Amino acid sequence: MMARFDNVYVLDVMSDDHPGIVAAVTTAVESLGGNIDACSQTVLGGYFTLIMIVSTPQPVDPERLAEQVRKAGTGGSEFQVLARRADRCEGYKPPEKCDRFVITAFGKDQPGIVRRFSQYLAGKDINIVDLYGDRKGDEFVLIGQLEIPSRWDIRMLQTDLEQMGQELGFTVKLQHENVFVATNQLRLPTAGG
Amino acid sequence: MLRTDEILSTIEMLHAEHLDVRAVTLALNVEDCAAPSVDLVCRKLRNKILSRASRLVEVCERVGCKYGIPVVNKRLAISPVSTLLAGHGHAAAVQVARALDEAAAACGVDFVGGFTALVHKGTSAADAVVMNSLPEVLSHTRQVCASINVASRKAGINMDAVRQMGEIVLRVAQATADRRGFGCAKLVIFANIPEDNPFMAGAYMGAGEPEATVNIGVSGPGVVCNALKRRIQRERNLTLGDLAEEIKITSFRVTRVGELIGREVAAELGVAFGIVDLSLAPTPMVGDSVGEILKTLGIEKIGAPGSTAAVAMLNDAVKKGGLFASSSVGGLSGAFIPVSEDAALADAVRQGHLVLEKLEAMTSVCSVGLDMIAIPGDTPAETIAALIADEMAIGVINDKTTAVRIIPVPGAKAGDFVDFGGLFGSTPVMEVRNAGASAAFVRFGGRIPAPLQSLGN
Repeated sequence: MMARFDNVYVLDVMSDDHPGIVAAVTTAVESLGGNIDACSQTVLGGYFTLIMIVSTPQPVDPERLAEQVRKAGTGGSEFQVLARRADRCEGYKPPEKCDRFVITAFGKDQPGIVRRFSQYLAGKDINIVDLYGDRKGDEFVLIGQLEIPSRWDIRMLQTDLEQMGQELGFTVKLQHENVFVATNQLRLPTAGG
Repeated sequence: MLRTDEILSTIEMLHAEHLDVRAVTLALNVEDCAAPSVDLVCRKLRNKILSRASRLVEVCERVGCKYGIPVVNKRLAISPVSTLLAGHGHAAAVQVARALDEAAAACGVDFVGGFTALVHKGTSAADAVVMNSLPEVLSHTRQVCASINVASRKAGINMDAVRQMGEIVLRVAQATADRRGFGCAKLVIFANIPEDNPFMAGAYMGAGEPEATVNIGVSGPGVVCNALKRRIQRERNLTLGDLAEEIKITSFRVTRVGELIGREVAAELGVAFGIVDLSLAPTPMVGDSVGEILKTLGIEKIGAPGSTAAVAMLNDAVKKGGLFASSSVGGLSGAFIPVSEDAALADAVRQGHLVLEKLEAMTSVCSVGLDMIAIPGDTPAETIAALIADEMAIGVINDKTTAVRIIPVPGAKAGDFVDFGGLFGSTPVMEVRNAGASAAFVRFGGRIPAPLQSLGN
């Protein structure tokens, strides 16, 4: 992502989900002369959240940017908005060689599932690049896309995670992402990638 | 970034429906193991196999673990053993077979294929040694698998070899009578044998192949069956075209898993990646059955009219999906209908729905032939030869691979139940009607000429 202007901000908006939110937010950003350099939205449990990288030709007080967007609230709901200067837009870069894996865990829901797994991963310097969790009936499913440092033996991690799963009554799998790419996308990933 | 629904559908396929890689077969050219002394042949064979294959099992397990997909069978295939036995005799054949057995065991593989002779146009002295040694070889070794190619599209059918194989199948059964004729489960008689088949008992390394190559057999009848069941449950007014499309999509995904694993295993072993074999290979496990797919397609009793059309559609859809998934498709690549290895097929035989003649008709549109069929132990050799000839004719005329793996169970009558254990499964003994009534045809011998290549109606 390359920002168009020198003054770069990260803008976070949360609201009840309804049509017109993106239009309202972008109109507010444009009114300050801002450009949208990147954006991503998701809806979870009926709540909408939007994260944007915005850049402006002249410096803007981040609170003024947030207030401008707040005032744009539509559909009778308030926008909760957070804005701050984006000091670095490159994101987290692992300091060592990593490989992409996917963890999936299924089992009877109980408090502490995400914490247990994420604590284990954090303790191994494993970065979670995407996380999904959903409760259906009594069951909870957790899917995490991970960057695992190559120094770890995958079988050791699998054994640890499976053991943790057993203690929680969960079925846990840790698999290289290429199996998901190979079975879902038209182009086959290169071997060993 | 991967989508959640993609991850979930793959997880369902891999874990809930037990997709696995059925076979990783390392094929080795062993022609350089030929030597004037049989002791030297055996020593060279052992050294070559151990140097190239000793890491196979470990690599398969590590790669399987990385992707969360078990590799069920790890196997070896070698160049036709007849090339090593030229100038040697019966005792040498048995000694070489024992050496192969020991080398395979030392590598920890399940089977070693390639105790093979190619006799579709005629039988050389070395081929005859291979064929005549089969009763002793298959009864005195555990892991050695044999295949004899007796027919081809270009040569026709070597009826002398067919007749001889009818007798040899009986002798192999008798030599392994204590195991209900199990030796015959390790012997396949082919028309148009593929050079790169990873599946046993017919795997061998054919001419034109590299020094060493990894061939992959994927499977997944359970995955296809479940995909069809889900679609049928979810949607009304489906046509067979819709169901063929579902099979195609599933086959694409299954094939991709095989290719991913195969390429990585080959890279780790430092050998060429060969092919993915698209065959749907059932196991006796419930839910891992081609017969179950036919039932899901609406054939209530397997063997009923419509069974041939259903299996033809399945076979074709599997190939179409797999061919788009991989540019390296080969081997047998079709739906297998091995009776004892498929619980639903064995059950159809038990209930009298599926008879030998209907099975033969079904093999004309799928892979790979009359496979894992138990017949009465007193079936005459000429009748076994005639059964082989019929299946070879289907292959030669239709320009496809066909095969016969038939077990005349010593002392058993039609309707008796035999259990071969493990992946070989169990089955009732099938009735062979009109036994003995084609003896004169078989006794003519000679060669049935190669068929026309044109006027293909």
